Amino acid sequence: MNNPIVITIPSHPKYLSVVRAAALLAAEISGLGTTEAEDIKHAVDEACSNVIKYAYKCDCTRKITVKFDDTQNSFQVTIEDSGSKAKLEDIKIRELDEVKPGGLGIHFIKKAFNAVVFDKKKRNGNRLLLTRYKNTDEAVISKQK
Amino acid sequence: MKIETAAHSDYTVISIAGEIDMYSSPELRDTLLALVKKKAATVIVNLKDVKYIDSSGIATFVEALKKMLAYKGKFKMAQVPDRVMEIFNFSKLDKVFNIYGSIEDAANS
Repeated sequence: MNNPIVITIPSHPKYLSVVRAAALLAAEISGLGTTEAEDIKHAVDEACSNVIKYAYKCDCTRKITVKFDDTQNSFQVTIEDSGSKAKLEDIKIRELDEVKPGGLGIHFIKKAFNAVVFDKKKRNGNRLLLTRYKNTDEAVISKQK
Repeated sequence: MKIETAAHSDYTVISIAGEIDMYSSPELRDTLLALVKKKAATVIVNLKDVKYIDSSGIATFVEALKKMLAYKGKFKMAQVPDRVMEIFNFSKLDKVFNIYGSIEDAANS
């Protein structure tokens, strides 16, 4: 991938399929394998769903911008919104051993990406930075931290 | 996503095709909760043609399972595609859902 791919969608759940398709293709173009690309597709979908639910509180008239970029060693996704400030710890999450509806989205995001952080420099809205290392050793070390 | 419902004498089969996500899962939830409301004895969800499921879809199935167990109904799944099974495994729901290779196996169990 020589240049970043940027797409902007309305914050309506019907456009999540567009983001999924773009995420899968961008990950494949970046050289990630089928399983990794599927995991990334799933994670980006969950992250955008969280924007709709938590940042925009299901207001479907807003915008979500998703940027896909890569380096030799990593694949990066940036998800931006102009909604309420979010903190990872505020997002509904449950232990995998608990059997109850909801709270799985963050698990899928952390499964696909080695680094999941909100950019604290963004003053209004949120900028979620997701990084997947391509080098397996680096990815494993990152997961163990 | 498309949902087809087939009522049999002892069980109801819900066949789902396409992608289950935040957009489509409310329709799935309505379908399943309508059966729960009628206290359907056995529901078999056929996932053969499901291409994708997200956490909202999983939440919908967990909710239906819990509501059916409350009245001793049986909630079963059949023909789960590999990728969906991977997601169930990761979520540790493979141990929670009753999963069968075919609708016949699910119906006869």
